[in-house]
Amino acid sequence: MPYSFTQIEKDKGRVIVLVFFSLIVFYFLTALILYWSIKGFLILQINAESERTNIPYQWMWLYPKEMIAIVSVALIVGIGHWFFTMDHLVEKMLGALRAEALNPSDKYHRMFQNIVDEVSVATGGTPMEGVVIPTMAMNAFAVADFSGRNVIGVTEGLLARLTRAEIEAVVGHEAAHIVSGDCLSATVTTSLFELYNSMRIGLGEMISSSRSQGKKSDGVVYLSYGVLTAATFMGKILRMFISRQRELRADAAAVRLTRDPLSLSQSLYTISSRWRGAGLSGENLEAIFIVNPRFSRLDESQGFFANLFSTHPPVAERLSILLDMAHSDAKVLEKKFLERQNYPRTLAPETPGASLSLVNTSSEKNWIVNKDGQWQGPFSLLDLANPGFLQVDTWVKKLGSERIEQAFENTETRDFLWKKNQQQTLLCPKCRVSLFSEAYEGASIYRCQACNGVLVHENDVERIVIRQEYDFSPRIKEIAQKLYQEASKKLPHIDLTNANLYACPQCQHIKAKMPRMLYSLVYPVVIDKCSFCGFAWFDKDELEILQCMIEQADQKNA
Amino acid sequence: MIVGVVLLVVVAVAFLLSVAVYNALIGMRQAVQNGWSQIDVQLKRRHDLIPNLIEIAKGYMAHERQTLENVVKARQQAVDASGLQDKQQAENFLSSTLRSLFAVVENYPNLKADQQMLRLHEELTSTENKIAFARQYYNDEVTRFNTAAQTFPNNIVAVLFNFKSYDFFEIVNPAEKEVPQVKF
Repeated sequence: MPYSFTQIEKDKGRVIVLVFFSLIVFYFLTALILYWSIKGFLILQINAESERTNIPYQWMWLYPKEMIAIVSVALIVGIGHWFFTMDHLVEKMLGALRAEALNPSDKYHRMFQNIVDEVSVATGGTPMEGVVIPTMAMNAFAVADFSGRNVIGVTEGLLARLTRAEIEAVVGHEAAHIVSGDCLSATVTTSLFELYNSMRIGLGEMISSSRSQGKKSDGVVYLSYGVLTAATFMGKILRMFISRQRELRADAAAVRLTRDPLSLSQSLYTISSRWRGAGLSGENLEAIFIVNPRFSRLDESQGFFANLFSTHPPVAERLSILLDMAHSDAKVLEKKFLERQNYPRTLAPETPGASLSLVNTSSEKNWIVNKDGQWQGPFSLLDLANPGFLQVDTWVKKLGSERIEQAFENTETRDFLWKKNQQQTLLCPKCRVSLFSEAYEGASIYRCQACNGVLVHENDVERIVIRQEYDFSPRIKEIAQKLYQEASKKLPHIDLTNANLYACPQCQHIKAKMPRMLYSLVYPVVIDKCSFCGFAWFDKDELEILQCMIEQADQKNA
Repeated sequence: MIVGVVLLVVVAVAFLLSVAVYNALIGMRQAVQNGWSQIDVQLKRRHDLIPNLIEIAKGYMAHERQTLENVVKARQQAVDASGLQDKQQAENFLSSTLRSLFAVVENYPNLKADQQMLRLHEELTSTENKIAFARQYYNDEVTRFNTAAQTFPNNIVAVLFNFKSYDFFEIVNPAEKEVPQVKF
């Protein structure tokens, strides 16, 4: 091992001690300036009363008592700040980044969880968790705290756009930060001040909005804004302690873990080419990301100041090192990048249940069923899906076969019942028949086999619009384009008559109607979203239109 | 007198050095054993997944009885194997039968699209990767330990306290092992 554990422990400890020391110095200077200004102000007052004109400058001299008071205030505030920030640090960071826990029923999330576990094995069993940020951008980060909790996070865009090997390489890079311990020092360093940046931005907005209304804000507001601005500036200074070399070291260690320099260079190339995540919540915590979410000129340059204040080395430098290791060159990367944009995709299923494997055989109406002593039919298996219709002991007969069996005796109906029982019994809000759960773009959705509308949880909608497994028919593309263009002139009409609103299939017991709304003003697809459980109902094709619209807008921006 | 003091110092230094070396070697041996148990865990996981795989595949590919039976047999061998050499061979055989099974699965689009099959495929891929990573970690640690135990002066301590070198866990592809026949 080129970088021994004792060396790492020493480095890690040194950075954290330095950061703590600077925190105390920061508070000492702040307290000193405040004290001077108050004292100066008071002396001016007294002098004005006694009408003395020559003001002695000795007041700037501090007595030992005053000095001790200032130092102890600085110590108390600094230590308080430190412990306040370090308490549940990982949760705070994840909150600032709007990261979410993994959903085990999601295909991409399961894969990501597996990859994190694999890399953890490669490090010899260092415990690591995975989280995702639901955004289209592509980036990855690692955070750790003193309690020994290590978390690796990626964005949904990264999961959707990179191959398994590339995601593995990225996770390897983040795991390398964790194993070497510089993840902890980087988390501590960035969190101390940058964590409160969102508070500063919020206050700034408050001040400007009250100013535009002609009102004056309190002095306290201005004071806290000033303190927070100083803190943000301090945060920038603290970046000195985060060496940009740590990214190069982590790249190298990632290659040692996953033995795949080409995949790592491909993922760096793709991330830095576009979608690196500017505007991401928590983008100011840039030091913990694999590539700086904001493109920064400082990062891409060399020299004294760049080395001192930037958090990431130039991407070109990282790529050339990795490509050297892989015995490859930049042309391969460009080729792969173009391939990725034009990969072959299958059309999204347009007929009901086409993606449901059990339905392939069962859409023919060839079953008759004995219900209440009467033979009824013929039905397809899907018709039988209606609640309470087919029970295990119902007598069934398949057309063309002589046998009359109970549903549990026949293999087809038994399988069907088994699969049906695994589903939640949600009913279509329009047709009142059972909704079938199916996998779509890696997430699970509930589809009505009669009207082809789908019920999707809002979290899954976010993921589905990011993923691009399916292509769309020209008809859908055309509708999406028209809707998108017309949205700038006139928004579509929403029918809000109470009688036409749907009841939420999930929250039926409280008889809640789902409010009808547009997905967003930019993407005006009409959806009915339950305000209790977050499930949204899309009529036939609407989900595909939304996906297609977002994809087209993304291509236009590229 | 002076000779005595010098001798004492030499003995003391030698003792302290060997304590340090002994402790370092123990630490490395722990890492090796930890690496081995990681491999074991992942191999077990694979053994547990295979019955499910067979169960799902059975329903779709009735005509591929031979392939399925091979996997079952290979799995049983791997479960029964003990000792590094045996395990290595059995696991390699199991890997190759699994590969041929997945090659056959390609011919059954319905099976390939089955949700449970997709899930299992991902789990198996992940387990294969974990085995590879665990093996990589184990072999790295074995190299570290062996190098440490065989270099001077550590080897004196190693011999004194009976530290044995470990063998690598190698996944040998039988096709790669054969010497290519060159014919003119």
